[in-house]
Amino acid sequence: MNTLRAWARDLSLGARFAFGGGRQGWTRTLLTGVGVGLGVALLLIGTAVPGALTDRHEREDARSLLGATTADAPGRDTLLVARVDQTYRHQDIGGRLLRAEGPDAPVPPGLKALPKAGEMAVSPALERLLASPEGADLRERLGARITATVADRGLTGPAELLFYLGSDSLQRGGPGEYRIQRITAFAGDREPRALGPGLMLLVVLAFVALLTPVAVFIAAAVRFGGERRDQRLAALRLVGADGRTVRRIAAGEALSGALVGLVLGAGFFLAGRSLVGSLSFQQRSVFPEDLDPSAWLLLLVALAVPAAAVAVTVPAAVAVAGAIALQMVFTGVEEDYERPTGQDPGRAAVSVMMHMGTESRLDALARELAATPGVVRAVPLTGFQAARSTPADGQTIRGTIGTCDALREVADIGACAEGDAFVLSGGGLSPTGEPLAPVPGERLYAGNITSFGARELPAQKPVEWAVPAGARTVRAVPDPMGDLREGVLVTPSAAPREMGSWPTAQVYLQTDESRPDTLDRIRTAVFRAEPLAKATTLRESSEDTSYAAIRTGLFFGAAALLVLIGTSMLVSQLEQLRERRRLLAALVAFGTPRGTLGLSVLWQTALPIALGLSLATGTGLALGSALLWVAGRPVHVDWTSVLALAGAGVGVVALVTLLTLPPLLRMMRPDGLRTE
Amino acid sequence: MTPAGSLLVATGLCKAYGTTKALDDAAFSIHPGEVVAVMGPSGSGKSTLLHCLAGIVAPDAGTVTYDGRDLTALGDAERSALRRSQFGFVFQFGQLVPELTCVENVALPLRLAGVRRKEAEATALGWMERLQVEDVGAKRPGEVSGGQGQRVAVARALVTRPRVVFADEPTGALDSLNGELVMQLLTEAARAASAAVVLVTHETRVAAYSDREIVVRDGRSRDMERAI
Repeated sequence: MNTLRAWARDLSLGARFAFGGGRQGWTRTLLTGVGVGLGVALLLIGTAVPGALTDRHEREDARSLLGATTADAPGRDTLLVARVDQTYRHQDIGGRLLRAEGPDAPVPPGLKALPKAGEMAVSPALERLLASPEGADLRERLGARITATVADRGLTGPAELLFYLGSDSLQRGGPGEYRIQRITAFAGDREPRALGPGLMLLVVLAFVALLTPVAVFIAAAVRFGGERRDQRLAALRLVGADGRTVRRIAAGEALSGALVGLVLGAGFFLAGRSLVGSLSFQQRSVFPEDLDPSAWLLLLVALAVPAAAVAVTVPAAVAVAGAIALQMVFTGVEEDYERPTGQDPGRAAVSVMMHMGTESRLDALARELAATPGVVRAVPLTGFQAARSTPADGQTIRGTIGTCDALREVADIGACAEGDAFVLSGGGLSPTGEPLAPVPGERLYAGNITSFGARELPAQKPVEWAVPAGARTVRAVPDPMGDLREGVLVTPSAAPREMGSWPTAQVYLQTDESRPDTLDRIRTAVFRAEPLAKATTLRESSEDTSYAAIRTGLFFGAAALLVLIGTSMLVSQLEQLRERRRLLAALVAFGTPRGTLGLSVLWQTALPIALGLSLATGTGLALGSALLWVAGRPVHVDWTSVLALAGAGVGVVALVTLLTLPPLLRMMRPDGLRTE
Repeated sequence: MTPAGSLLVATGLCKAYGTTKALDDAAFSIHPGEVVAVMGPSGSGKSTLLHCLAGIVAPDAGTVTYDGRDLTALGDAERSALRRSQFGFVFQFGQLVPELTCVENVALPLRLAGVRRKEAEATALGWMERLQVEDVGAKRPGEVSGGQGQRVAVARALVTRPRVVFADEPTGALDSLNGELVMQLLTEAARAASAAVVLVTHETRVAAYSDREIVVRDGRSRDMERAI
């Protein structure tokens, strides 16, 4: 018999074993198929992720203002745009104020027309939020009439919260003009996004850590029914099948299970894909159509899974090891991507910054904010620019206006009364050798010192002002934002007058932390008073967005993996129970209590997992240490994370045991055991 | 009886599992068409002897010669080919493949030898008729009685017209009536095909179907002439 025929015969015999054997045989193959299918689905999702990210980035870039084509002067095709991003109950909301300057102004992707003044276009998720009871407070902030919905091509994901608000007051000019862009098109040329080597290492590690258990799981799944198969193969050996023939038959059987798994996996993937649009994790969501693996990756999975099914038979608990190693690497490189901001949330929870603020507007805003429920203290400060000549030759002096109480937030001023002024120590010398800090009695220009008569707003002349002769020199202290100020500090009656809209206004707000809605009320009040005002929540540290995205991705993957591990254990346990039905029958016949049998299942699951977790923890710690050592980082073990991961493993064991009990009890019923 | 003219001869067989000696200088011989019962209490080493004779287990010492060929010197492929074409096996629990129908089980050795399906199944059905189980051909082993399953296993053992059939406690799981039937059909069919039968049993009732008995005790064998 030629080799090809022998192969065909043996493989088909293997397939016969997989699909033959009546209900029992089918059940076993189905269990294998479900197991492999889950792995395949995860692999398909894994292979679809790069494409999904690319699509997401492309849509993000298409509406980005960073790469937009800009214009200097108003024209038929220009649009004024300002970012007015919001936060509502810890959710980020993207926002843009738009004002068309001509009939051909560009329209953002996903919209057919620009919203007119007082009108708003929103993403479907934001529309739902605004319509829901949870969005009641947000409606106070974003109360404009909704006239359009942003289509999918203008969104990064289905759960993205985004609005475009039409404005008729947006204009360039003044100190805050850098926040307003004049553009002729949204899409522009942008450098392709690239991850640094550190982040790339994390991405590669995450993929390896997440996909290795999938491969192991697939290998384990095709071993379901191993006991029966071994008996079958032994019988074949007895009737004269040589080792090679038996291996081919076993390969045919494994291949059949893997092929069923591929079909089921494709089904799980498609089902999961249609569900994915309704899921959101840490405000990241994916359009189902974005999860579209490339053809060559599909081919790779279609070939690799059956190959792995035939070649690999290694049971292991490598998931926890990978996760611990990754956790260690994350902790090790955290400081590269998570930096202290210098901000002091203890002194102020929110800093509100408003450009083009007159004294009266600042006072009005400060009063409104102070009256917001949950605000304990409001500290308003006005900032202005001064110079020794005008227009300023590049060397400007910073001035801060505030009550004595407010000035104490930025300097150690000691005794103070209304009418006092202070010069801050330090400041050094300018490149021309001039002292940067002014001296008491020195005459300066304040207000519009840089762009006098040069911009689109009505010209505002600088005002002459003399630093009060009695000004004391004091030491600056970091303000709640961590900023160490220079220049002069003056109380309101000693400040320059009639600077127009040039001063900037800042209000520090202390809040009552026991009232969770306070921050949102503040943001609503600020947005209603001045959409371009920026409310910043003070944080001790800030995180690199790419790093955060990768960590989010890892959490996504780890969650999916835990589900996979749990399912795999459940399927394996059911398979084991099925194979040991005869033994169970004997034990029940001897009068073994059900509780004892139930506990035996727990132990059968728990002991291997406990052993596996111990080994995995050791391996993970060693692997993480090695990786950190290679990366030249200090080795640090975050025991809380290690315990949390090990705890998750224990949780999965408990859940699997619980889910295994109903079929066990069913099997132990007399009618279930009769045939055994 | 001397080994002269023997089909299968074993001398000086030793086999140990850990510190337990299963065979200790055991000897065996069988002539073509002869039925030899290997008897002995449980754990005496009789099954190990059968496994060594069939080339399933390699002995630690000693030789097994089949038709002039030293089995212990053969590779896996050659021993497999020998089991496929020259030997047949019947075990206590039949060792049928549960996923295949009874006729497919009987045809399996022929299929492995390269015979086409139809031809193999036709031959298999012929043997099943002889063993009076042709009516269960389409059923799976799990759907037939123990006695029927064991007769299917005998048909499978004989389908390739082997020169030696190894039967390890073939009636061990059957009631006496079915046991008698299986033994009667096995020995008749074997004799008709001129096949030698190595019959491992601890039942004298079963051993009565043999031409000669060998008793194994503590790993040593002793040839007993049948008292007629």
